[in-house]
Amino acid sequence: MPEIVPPAPRGKDGRAPDVLRPGGWVPMRQYRDNDEVDFAIVGTGAGGGTLAARLAEAGFSVVAFDAGPWFRPLEEFASDELEQTKLYWTDNRIVAGDNPIELGHNNSGKAVGGSTVHFAMVALRFRPEWFKARTKLGYGADWPVSWQEMWRYYDEVEDALKIAGPVRFPWGPPRRRYPYRPHEVNAAGLVLAHGAEKLGIKWCPTPLATVSAPRGLSPPCVYRGFCVIGCSTNAKQSALVVWIPRALAAGAEIRDLAMVGRIELGPNGLVAGVHYHREGEWRFQRAKNVVVAGYAIETPRLLLNSACPQFPDGLANSNGLVGKYFMVQSNDAVWGTMDEEIRWYKGPPSLALTEHWNYTDTGKDFFGGYAYMSQGPLPIEFARTLASGRGLWGQALRDAMSNYIHMAGLKICGEVLPREHNRVELADATDEYGLRTARVVFGYCDNDNRLRRHAVLFMRDALAAAGARDIWESESTAHLNGSCRMGEDPATSVVNADGRSWDIPNLWVCDGSLFPTVGGVNPSLTIQALACRTADRIKAMAARGELDRPAASPARTAARAVEWS
Amino acid sequence: MLTDSSIEHYRGRFFNRGMVLPIIASALTLGISLHGAHDPTPRAHKLRHAVAAAAAATGLIGGGFHAYNVTKREGRLSWHDLFYGAPLGAPFALILAGTMALAAEHVRDARDRRISLFGQPAGPMLAALTAGGLAGTIAEAALLHFRGAFQDKFMYLPVTIPPIAAGLIAKAALEQTPRWPRLTRFWLRLTAALGFAGAGFHAYGVSRNMGGWRNWSQNLLAGPPIPAPPSFTALALAGLAALDLLGSSRHD
Amino acid sequence: MTERNRFPGYSTLAKHDTPSWNAQTRAVVDKRLNDPPPRRFFTEEEWSVLVAICARIILQPTQRDPNVPIAPFIDQKMAENRGDGFQQAGLPGMQQEWRRGLSAIDTEARLRFGAAFVDLPAGRQDDVLHMVQDGDVCAPAWADLPAQQFFKGRLLIDIVTMYYAHPQAWDEIGFGGPASPRGYVRMGFDRYDPWEAVEHA
Repeated sequence: MPEIVPPAPRGKDGRAPDVLRPGGWVPMRQYRDNDEVDFAIVGTGAGGGTLAARLAEAGFSVVAFDAGPWFRPLEEFASDELEQTKLYWTDNRIVAGDNPIELGHNNSGKAVGGSTVHFAMVALRFRPEWFKARTKLGYGADWPVSWQEMWRYYDEVEDALKIAGPVRFPWGPPRRRYPYRPHEVNAAGLVLAHGAEKLGIKWCPTPLATVSAPRGLSPPCVYRGFCVIGCSTNAKQSALVVWIPRALAAGAEIRDLAMVGRIELGPNGLVAGVHYHREGEWRFQRAKNVVVAGYAIETPRLLLNSACPQFPDGLANSNGLVGKYFMVQSNDAVWGTMDEEIRWYKGPPSLALTEHWNYTDTGKDFFGGYAYMSQGPLPIEFARTLASGRGLWGQALRDAMSNYIHMAGLKICGEVLPREHNRVELADATDEYGLRTARVVFGYCDNDNRLRRHAVLFMRDALAAAGARDIWESESTAHLNGSCRMGEDPATSVVNADGRSWDIPNLWVCDGSLFPTVGGVNPSLTIQALACRTADRIKAMAARGELDRPAASPARTAARAVEWS
Repeated sequence: MLTDSSIEHYRGRFFNRGMVLPIIASALTLGISLHGAHDPTPRAHKLRHAVAAAAAATGLIGGGFHAYNVTKREGRLSWHDLFYGAPLGAPFALILAGTMALAAEHVRDARDRRISLFGQPAGPMLAALTAGGLAGTIAEAALLHFRGAFQDKFMYLPVTIPPIAAGLIAKAALEQTPRWPRLTRFWLRLTAALGFAGAGFHAYGVSRNMGGWRNWSQNLLAGPPIPAPPSFTALALAGLAALDLLGSSRHD
Repeated sequence: MTERNRFPGYSTLAKHDTPSWNAQTRAVVDKRLNDPPPRRFFTEEEWSVLVAICARIILQPTQRDPNVPIAPFIDQKMAENRGDGFQQAGLPGMQQEWRRGLSAIDTEARLRFGAAFVDLPAGRQDDVLHMVQDGDVCAPAWADLPAQQFFKGRLLIDIVTMYYAHPQAWDEIGFGGPASPRGYVRMGFDRYDPWEAVEHA
């Protein structure tokens, strides 16, 4: 394959790529390794990229690191599935457990902008009750933040991304209108709509983080359909296109192709900075605070790999919960053949959805919920689904693929329960940097399987009601969450509501690892909302001189949460 | 409108054979209007009259089709269907064009100064038609600019300036003699100018889509419709003509 | 095996110089078509077994000449060790999976039908592949490499991936192909843009 990935970092020499202009550059403030910057952030995705921007805008000195390259979508993204695998984290990790998960294209990006460079742009809020899942719905755990607080931050993020959503959103409490209008629902989405109407449930055009009208230098979506392998239009409002430019404008430094391998703990029990590998050598950046935002596998991996005499089991891991309560979301799907031409390759993959089973608590034999969405896989992705879902090859494969333009599909984003057994730990194998790789152990529980069964049966009915025939199923997972969860009790969580670790007051987490429960919606909007909240909390704490003091006790945290809501 | 319906029905790949009708109708209406403009005979012409009436009728039928198209989609009359279904305002424009052409025939045919139109005095009738036409065009622009999230501040212009002109010409229609002719004329002229400016803005809009003019095969269809804003110019001109008629009848 | 073409006259490559392809796409696809990678990883023997397997997994139309190459791209992936990002606990890495898998398939062929895999008639080759897919195997090599897992998670996946990365595969299924800067306008049922494939059912 052609080596398009640039071998040399781009964020250096006082400038950074302006990805909205072909060949463009913007000036970038740079710090020396010896400067003790306020915040060193590991990862520049939905968590790290957002936090970098908000902290820099609040006046803090910020250096954010990403192991991945700084892509220029306009020039470097090809309309080619094979070529675009360059967006994924394809370094080896071990998967194990009753249901070993697939990694890479479905959940792990490696780029400035993180997994938002390849994500499907679905932008959904948590159902309010989910923030108190244990208290209100009887399962999982409560979040240490309130839905009212999060609602404000959802407003902020939706506006920052100019989410294109329906004029009226059918579920949840009243909310502000989406900043941009919804995209036209393609035939694949209309199949979902027809099925939903026949079964008497609501549906709507999916709120998406890609613009339906011009926005600055971003032209509106051209419906090319290659979204999950990289948007070469720059209509997709990824962190690369939204938060990173804001961070740069506010004086943050972004270091691409910089793999952070270890967080250094100082003699005073506070972290002192990060060891990172860039341009062939290991370097050390001093920092007053370190935020880990590498998503739910790399974050615990880094904390575990940073073990030292004071924390022999890994930083922030005195209670052994780093890496535990790992969650994915089930992605079971049904597929069928329609008489009409669907040509699902046009437009974002999920242009219509229903959250009916997220907001209905009757008629379920399981806790939790799921949304389901229309689908539009490109040829390789669909051929792989056929192969793994139906085991077809030879003439049978040809016959099945020949119906490509008549296919329709529905896929869930299904809630998985948090269980301590599911975890990210260190394997013995090491990577190219000599760092122990991650081993991800995952298995569904009975509740998860009942949810999946319910979903598949329902979606089969919906697809058949819309007129599809020869319906079959596939399974997979998406998203990574929960492995450094937040909570009010230091005994059962790794960090508090602000993402601040109980063990080390200047060590923070800001990504999907924070989630105590995962809900039945894609996590990206919630991760970004949490990052905005974290930034505001840090600002407030700094103003009160609290950044240098240990994390508040649960009682004080609860009092503050009330103050904020 | 010929251009607009051609482009939009091409976009729809003429999935219904009838979609060719408004193109023919508007082409013919254009033809008879040009013919009528050059014809020195101050008399109505049977063929021109027939074409004009047919155009209006086509618009009426088209309105029915478009309404069916929008409501038969999923979810009854939803915002999504209003945004992306067949535009309700467009066939209305054909009705208007046909009606205006009919009006023009009537007006030219008048032997005396007391010109009438559909049984009413011509001046107020034409003014009312103009006001109605402006209202429809404003609604269409408002809907589509709402769909575009008013992302460019200039998109507020067609929902601020023409309403004032529409209000003024409607007022003139109700008055026996127009009380604010100069003000009304100003806002109509401004609206006429806006029609041209709008075409320019829309061309800019097409150029800033992905691939710009090089990607014309997508962007002329997907981007803001360049032939749409000039409807304001056409209506404003009709309004100015109505003002003239109202003004001349003052001397009766 | 001859086959009626559902999209006669359609070619994604024909859009090479239209706004549907950008420079990056042209560079990548041109290289794939004009410069297929040489054999670097598999031995000659392994290679011939792989080629024979590819020909059974992906049945290419007899009127197509030359066939879309698949094996060279699997070889390249192994040579560069570009993994997918995960490895099942207890399984060897993908390079070893392929090596052992190819050898095991050949052994299975010899044990069951008394000939090397490449020497078997197509029908028998399919039988062997079905056995591997179903886990109904007797070659001892499968003790270290679960047959079903190898077939479903490695063999099938890699082969279909490399085939459907080729423009001819896109053409035969009516896929729109590369689409940047020009995407699509018409998105409804039975609607398509002039630059899309027309189906002759």
